[in-house]
Amino acid sequence: MAQLGFSIDVSRCSGCMACIVSCLDQNDLQGGGLAFRHVTRLERGSYPSVKLSFLSISCLHCGDAPCMMVCPAQAIYKRDGDGIVEVDRDLCVGCHSCALACPFGAPQYPADGKMNKCNFCFERLNHDMEPACVCVCPTRALGFGPLETLAEQKAQKASISILDSLHLWPLNISL
Amino acid sequence: MAMEPELPINSLLKGKIPGEGTGIEVKKTICSICNPLSHCGIDAYVKDGVVIKVEGTKENPHNAGTLCSKGASSRQYIYHQDRIRTPLLKKGDRGSGEFEPISWDDALDLIAERFIKLKEESGPESVVFFAGYSKWMRPFLKRLAHSYGSPNYTTESSLCHLATVLAARLNYGSPAGVPEISKTGCLVVWGANPFYSNTSKVREILDARERGMKIIEVGPLLTPITAHADIHLRIRPGTSGALALGMAHVIIEEGLYDKDFVENWTHGFEEYRAYVKEFSPAVTEGITGISSSLITKAARLYATTKPAAMMTGASPTVHHTNGIQNHRALTALIGLTGNYDQEGGNYLVPPSYVSVPNGVVTREAEFVQSRPWQEMPPRIGQDVYPVWCKMAPEGQAMHLPFQIRSGKPYPIRAMLAFGLNHRMWAGSDFMLESLKMLDFIVDVDLFMTDTARIADLVLPACSSFERSELKFYQEQHVIWTSPAIKPLGESRSDADIIFDLAKRIAPDDSLMGQGYEACVDWILEPAKLKVKDIKKHPGGYTLKDVKMPPYRKYKKKGFPTPSGKMEFISSVLEEAGQDPLPRFKEPVLSPRSSPEVAKEYPLILTSGARLPMFIHSRTFRLPWTKGLRPDPMVDINAKDAETRGISSGDWVSLSTKRGAIRVRAHLTEIVSPGVVNIYHGYPQADINLLIEPDYLDPISAYPGFKALLCEVKLITEGMRRM
Ligand code: SF4
Ligand code: SF4
Ligand code: SF4
Repeated sequence: MAQLGFSIDVSRCSGCMACIVSCLDQNDLQGGGLAFRHVTRLERGSYPSVKLSFLSISCLHCGDAPCMMVCPAQAIYKRDGDGIVEVDRDLCVGCHSCALACPFGAPQYPADGKMNKCNFCFERLNHDMEPACVCVCPTRALGFGPLETLAEQKAQKASISILDSLHLWPLNISL
Repeated sequence: MAMEPELPINSLLKGKIPGEGTGIEVKKTICSICNPLSHCGIDAYVKDGVVIKVEGTKENPHNAGTLCSKGASSRQYIYHQDRIRTPLLKKGDRGSGEFEPISWDDALDLIAERFIKLKEESGPESVVFFAGYSKWMRPFLKRLAHSYGSPNYTTESSLCHLATVLAARLNYGSPAGVPEISKTGCLVVWGANPFYSNTSKVREILDARERGMKIIEVGPLLTPITAHADIHLRIRPGTSGALALGMAHVIIEEGLYDKDFVENWTHGFEEYRAYVKEFSPAVTEGITGISSSLITKAARLYATTKPAAMMTGASPTVHHTNGIQNHRALTALIGLTGNYDQEGGNYLVPPSYVSVPNGVVTREAEFVQSRPWQEMPPRIGQDVYPVWCKMAPEGQAMHLPFQIRSGKPYPIRAMLAFGLNHRMWAGSDFMLESLKMLDFIVDVDLFMTDTARIADLVLPACSSFERSELKFYQEQHVIWTSPAIKPLGESRSDADIIFDLAKRIAPDDSLMGQGYEACVDWILEPAKLKVKDIKKHPGGYTLKDVKMPPYRKYKKKGFPTPSGKMEFISSVLEEAGQDPLPRFKEPVLSPRSSPEVAKEYPLILTSGARLPMFIHSRTFRLPWTKGLRPDPMVDINAKDAETRGISSGDWVSLSTKRGAIRVRAHLTEIVSPGVVNIYHGYPQADINLLIEPDYLDPISAYPGFKALLCEVKLITEGMRRM
């Protein structure tokens, strides 16, 4: 089993934030500032030519995870096989070093002061279920899988849209 | 992807994995937080009788496992501390907010006693029956009203959606039809944001887009669909009608209309053609603010792509003081281009059950009208809005506060409401004060709301997780839900409340006397469906062999209009003394129509566009959804903010001639300079306090929520709370 990752199709994401809430529900989190997933809204340009886009991110389960390297208690580890970055909350000393090191704001600190973050819903994966955030996504912008497969899928989709834009075949659907 | 050995039990519990070991059971139910076109299938993860998590039902073809942020918050919705647990009887003065628990029997007996007395004293019409959200109980409430004898069944549709149907019916005698997205070459999205209002439709739109479908978006705001649109016609709020006439001008001048359809199937084309001559692209540019070249391009794209479909929102095009005529103008384009009831265009499918059109034939319309209109007194609003009452099967609730106050043509004395929210009315304070003048108010709701607080009797309804109901989907899926959990406290299903009342106040209605399931069976009779059979499929099932109606039904039967044709000139409006042409008029309050008001209030105010985490007021109180947007915010363009010294996040005062509210500024380009946008219904910042109660369309009585005038000012240090 290779390294798992998320994929986000920015052209589909609508900023609906269902992924955030579904994760709160899955993990019994209070929300507000405390969430494992964040959706950012980006506006580029100004009237009349404006582009609106959205991006949903959680812990990216990095290759060389900076959080893991700085943790003095060695509470953070990378799982064999799927490469999911996990935290052993029993070992966490609540020093927030991981938050300083993480470039994505993934580590969160609930009331008990110990770090918590996205664990890729690995218990669900284990039971053939998608991560809660992927399952809920109404636009199917959010996906997951082994990194190579994701890369292949993206290359394929991009190629199709490039070919489409070159009008190599009729675009209108058959009726 | 079973890649690991079985996890230890605490890990399974943490992951909320269903199974015997964890004792977590998946129960099938539906979400009914938003509108009946959605009501996504839900897998409720239940442990020890408590929902511990929700997920979209994968095998439900409507939502296919997905949910929106509101539905994903279901757990906080069903277990909220504001849920009412027992029937409550008012103690002391109206509005004191003090109540004492009362038993269900006593509560229902009290209603019966009062309603029977009112019927004797001032006639059954003095009692109003009202349905807000949710909408699932509507057929039964309407029948109850009429069986009791009152014509006054009114709903939230007095300001949402129904006017679009009415406008289309003035043109075609029927609704405008469902856009066949999967089969169309070009989709016009006019004043709609399905990404936030009808999330299950968006996969179809995005997939069609990836397949090459063209998109033309019309609307003043930038929405998630804008990035996918080939053309965005970013109109000045309130000018849809002019834009539609301008597009018709191009289509007719350039000979791009469907000549066969126009010649054989329309009435009044010459007058219409003469009228749209006034809307040259240059003139239309002046009114709408869209360049003439873009108008021409959009008109050509829509008229020359075959087939092309039009999707309109529930209300943005009719929330105007010229709403009906604007919507008539834009739906006229469907016929003009030959896309009416056409494959891949706008396909006419009659509603099957609670607004959902899916081809299944039922007797719902017959069921709800247990007494013909002729045998009852006129409805609320019939004297002032006769066209509404002619075309819509209910009273006009926007007129309710006026009739309560005037007592004309007859007094209104009591109300039985399901999900009543006074903030729905323009001039919401005026509505609240009017309600207080009633002798007796019963409100059924899930939560103790500000409106419930002024009722005499408050009855606790349960959520969709706690009841059984029939639900149809457009995808021909049907489900009869079983309760996933026990009702909270003593709360009950709306249907049970209605049927128990029917026994008391409409004892002659023998069909209602047989109860909810028997009535559903009666409604479903033509489809040969029975509740007991549907029940056998806990997650629902997809009906096979549903016979969809043919396309172009008018070829056989003509149009159900007075002329038998599509009417560019409406015979119904002509008879009612209204303008029969879909004439464009400026919003009553606009920089062009009321320049003197605009001096003090120079910004155009548009309100009520959807946010993803809210549906009206229904999810304001949930920490998960509220946390996504904690404060009421007004969208204002950076240019307008700059000239007013406003930065993002500042507390500002948003005001009209009628009043002011305090909100935060959200500097954004989703509104153009000169326009501000705000969400509706906030208890702490209710935009409808700023809108006059009579700021209404003269034909439908729909409020002009989407275009008026306002000003935004920075709140100075001394006035600031934070
Ligand atoms: S649920 Fe999907 S569409 Fe919505 S914000 Fe998350 S990733 Fe984007
Ligand atoms: S994978 Fe699970 S824990 Fe991680 S963001 Fe998604 S829902 Fe949250
Ligand atoms: S609120 Fe969301 S989840 Fe619920 S029915 Fe509507 S779209 Fe579906």
